[in-house]
Amino acid sequence: MEANKSILVIGGGIAGIQASLDLASRGMKVYLVEKTPSIGGRMSQLDKTFPTMDCSMCILAPKMIECFRHPNITLLTYSEVKEVKGSAGNFRVKILKKPRFVDLEKCTGCGECAQHCPVEVPNEFDMGLGVRKAIYVPFPQAVPLKYTIDDENCIKCRLCQRMCKAGSIDYDQQPETIDLNVGAIVVATGFELFDARTRSEYGYGKYQNVLTSLEFERLLSASGPTGGHLLRLSDGRIPRRIAFIQCVGSRSLKGGVSYCSSACCVYATKEGILIREHNPECEVYVFYNDLKVFGKGFQEFVNRAKDEWGVKYVRALPGEVVEDPKTGDLTIWYEDTTENVTKNMKADIVVLCPALVPRVASKELAGILGLELDEFGFMKSKDPLFAPVDTNRPGIYICGYCQGPKDIPESVAQASGSAARAAEVIIVATGKEAH
Amino acid sequence: MTEEFEPKIVGFLCNWCSYAGADLAGVSRIQYPPNLRIIRVMCSGRVDPAFILEAFRSGADGVLIAGCHPGDCHYIAGNYKAQRRGILLKKLLEQFGVEPQRLKIEFVSASEGAKFAAVVKEMVETIKKLGPSPLKVQMEGLTYASG
Amino acid sequence: MEQSQKETSRIGVFICHCGINIGGVVNVPEVVEYAKTLPDVVYAEDNLYTCSSDGLNKIKESIAKYNLNRVIVASCTPRTHEPLFRATCEEAGVNKYLFEMANIREHCSWAHMHEHERATEKAKDIVRMAVAKARLLQPQTEPEIDVTPSALVIGGGISGIIAALCLADQRFKVSLVEKEPELGGMLRNLHKLYPTMQDASEGLEHFIQAVKSNKSIDVFTSTVVKEVKGFIGNFKVTLQKGNSETANLDIGTIVVATGATIFEPVGMYGYGEHENVITQLQLERLLKEGQLKKPEKVVMIQCVGSREEKGRTYCSRVCCMTALKNAMFIRELYPETDVYLLYRDLQTYGQHYEHHHREAQEKGIRFIKYAQEKPPEVVAGKNGKLEVNVYHALLGEQIKIESDLVVLSTPLIQHKDAKELSKMLKVPLGSDGFFFEAHVKLRPIEFATDGIYVCGTAHSPKDTAESVSQAFGVASRAAIPMALKRLRTEAITALVDEDLCSGCRICEAVCEYSAIEMQEKEGKQTSKVLEALCKGCGTCGASCPTGAITMRHFTDNQLVAQVRAAPQVAKEVTKHD
Repeated sequence: MEANKSILVIGGGIAGIQASLDLASRGMKVYLVEKTPSIGGRMSQLDKTFPTMDCSMCILAPKMIECFRHPNITLLTYSEVKEVKGSAGNFRVKILKKPRFVDLEKCTGCGECAQHCPVEVPNEFDMGLGVRKAIYVPFPQAVPLKYTIDDENCIKCRLCQRMCKAGSIDYDQQPETIDLNVGAIVVATGFELFDARTRSEYGYGKYQNVLTSLEFERLLSASGPTGGHLLRLSDGRIPRRIAFIQCVGSRSLKGGVSYCSSACCVYATKEGILIREHNPECEVYVFYNDLKVFGKGFQEFVNRAKDEWGVKYVRALPGEVVEDPKTGDLTIWYEDTTENVTKNMKADIVVLCPALVPRVASKELAGILGLELDEFGFMKSKDPLFAPVDTNRPGIYICGYCQGPKDIPESVAQASGSAARAAEVIIVATGKEAH
Repeated sequence: MTEEFEPKIVGFLCNWCSYAGADLAGVSRIQYPPNLRIIRVMCSGRVDPAFILEAFRSGADGVLIAGCHPGDCHYIAGNYKAQRRGILLKKLLEQFGVEPQRLKIEFVSASEGAKFAAVVKEMVETIKKLGPSPLKVQMEGLTYASG
Repeated sequence: MEQSQKETSRIGVFICHCGINIGGVVNVPEVVEYAKTLPDVVYAEDNLYTCSSDGLNKIKESIAKYNLNRVIVASCTPRTHEPLFRATCEEAGVNKYLFEMANIREHCSWAHMHEHERATEKAKDIVRMAVAKARLLQPQTEPEIDVTPSALVIGGGISGIIAALCLADQRFKVSLVEKEPELGGMLRNLHKLYPTMQDASEGLEHFIQAVKSNKSIDVFTSTVVKEVKGFIGNFKVTLQKGNSETANLDIGTIVVATGATIFEPVGMYGYGEHENVITQLQLERLLKEGQLKKPEKVVMIQCVGSREEKGRTYCSRVCCMTALKNAMFIRELYPETDVYLLYRDLQTYGQHYEHHHREAQEKGIRFIKYAQEKPPEVVAGKNGKLEVNVYHALLGEQIKIESDLVVLSTPLIQHKDAKELSKMLKVPLGSDGFFFEAHVKLRPIEFATDGIYVCGTAHSPKDTAESVSQAFGVASRAAIPMALKRLRTEAITALVDEDLCSGCRICEAVCEYSAIEMQEKEGKQTSKVLEALCKGCGTCGASCPTGAITMRHFTDNQLVAQVRAAPQVAKEVTKHD
């Protein structure tokens, strides 16, 4: 059957995008399901990427748009997988398409609605640092560039409906179930941040100038809440010293996870360079445990950060961060093991690098897909050595961070790998593409 | 006009190595003086000596041709040909009274962002010392004369 | 001066702020106003991100609204974004060769971040040069080529084996070439593989048998690639076995999986001087063959010849885990043996490796962190022992260890003959000696040259699991053109003006691809371009004494127009037009 020639890709981050493009460009039909209103994933939130300092959105956007325009890719955004039955070559899938209350066909993305919407809520894309309206696009380069009404916060004032010249607002939209028949499935659900609040000694959630690295990334970004101006959110002051703390909840046996998230040392280095680029007057300190420089060009990148940009590294994991309630300034207490003394350092902003953990919702998804998870909740490879993208269930493949910690190029390469395995299933199932 | 002399340099960069090297210099935020105007060609072997003469005639103070390293040429040996032509052309330029240092032929690979920046920096310094191209000075005279 | 344009150019210029990447340095609105003054520019605007779907829609709308027949985007490098903007033009009915890109980010705002005024002037110059070329652009049609559904995999280690098997499972023919007499590569030397601690030979043997029994895979051992000609879909490959025997293959896509070798630390820490100073790879062999005699104290030193200040600056990624693994095996084998691990930063990343680190601690392996500035010393001690002196960077004290075996963790390095292969394939090596991919982030396993891909340790140091991941990835990338069967290629080939051609045959002599032959026409010898063979380098054009040869999309007129536009001063031009 023709339907079996198609593949379901779950997750619209860079891994899901790459897997979709690989499959679509060889003539296979792809359904790309994304839970949020736009594809792009974590990479779209990043300002720059290490170690090249590429502008993240700039290199990602062409791929997002290619997904949108590709005749072989059907984008199902704001949708979730609810049921999967069958086996390799013939999966029957139920997808829940959540109501956007905006007609995708009619919406032009002009933004008139959001300008007039009276409701402001924290913007998830900016990690809650900025605000969005109740009718919104997650970010300016969203794909599709279509608005969504956030039902939870909408007050039904109908102002957007009056303002929309295209007549795209539809309050009566209902959840829709889509039935798909696919030959193979690729899972690429990515990661989220470990809740830094649970490490209360660092004061995250309590002190306004203690941020997570992803919040800080938004603060650096031109499309972020400060328009790319590096300011302290508590008082709008230009920071003079910023300190990073590594391994917040990672490599940890007391609270958090015991593994290493693989990306933090290098992204902190990148953010450190960006700070110095924004403001050469602002000092940067990175508190670390072991500097992870294992990837291609990482050590050279850290060398550049030290030698050319003056980023300073301190080997110590701080025990506590204390705020001066009057000024909002922070003091970091840490132990210098070589001298066996406790030291402290003042900082205007403290950036925590929390463990990167599998999406909470991926547990439910694994249940739906019948996939095994490892002790940390990562999707389990059939064999971590020789079958990394295979799972316990034939016909279902995994890639990107949901399979284990990795950086963007590793996710991209693995996404292609999962595409190759999925393609094999389709070739066998259809007998097509034979040579 | 008491401003410091800022030379204008025209650069022919091959698509595969040197253009990518210049991209890498930018991506890596390696800073170099903004005197170079880049023309992308598929191969440095594409650079006709006439283009170089035209550049000087149009008022360039220097011309840079950058291609892949010897043996790395995407098109087998276009870079050698560019280099050979360059050597001949330098002699020709001398006869016109143009210092041969104003024409520079360099090898810059796709991974040599830092080298690219260094090449430009050095070339700008060299030409600053030489001053404006004598050809440009002559040409300006001509332009004014012809009105 | 320029003639032969049937239609008048109507150019639209779209100038991108790229957030603050360009707009934070270059005064974009000023460049827009300047662009409007340039000849044939009928429309100019700025965009926050021209590459966003919003920006692309604006291009399409403007093409319709202002009847544009040439489009310029002044933003980033054409090497990444040209395909996107070209596709947008095509969608709006403008031939993609009528699009021109002005690189004002990589070549301007990012390289001159602190010189706002001069960067703005340079951006204007770059836009002016693009306009000069765009006015003369001509539409082109792209020739279609067939793709041979057969892949060449160079290297028969685990990466090459996995790539070959996965391509064969996608029903393509595969030729797997290995220079050694046996398949297997580096894994042949290894004992156990972390993180599962599976026996390396066992794992390898399974896949070697699978390759050998797969009818779609031709295995060539003791064979090297002698010559590669042609282009994506149509490579002509010559293999050589021994001194004489050769094979000629028609190949669609090529996978480079040539692996890496290990650095020999001659002269470092007494290696080559004391026989009890060995490399981690030598230890691996001893463990594999059960030849390790019981040592009392073993000292492993990490970062030997890697993470150097100058020279081999990179981290070799696999050494920490290899050392941990072997340290644990020694403790299992000889529980009384003390094992010290002298490291700088422990590379125990990912969800599996930190667990091994803890296990090693539990098994009593002693970790000593040393600083790069104070490396350990190995000297001859008493009773034929080795004395290792090291400054413990965490405790801040000097430590002396009497050891009877010192194991040096040395990095994976590129093979000596990689340079030759890189030249043959026309793909680059990076400053670390490893193959240099098309884009570090988003094109990690392919080269800028179409149809050639890379995986495994040929790309950079990585362990088995990571090499296998990339090998599967490559099996997708290399399959795509073959699955498509037909491809369009860029219409950048040479063009002969027969009226001007004097038949001197210089072009025929300089062409490396034998893409020019002579023809007789109306009693006159002229040259003729064989388009399927022409790669578009333009050497013939540059060598033609009568100016009879030019290149499509890089014509003499277009390049000369750019040259003339380059040294002008922006202000002057504004006055003229």
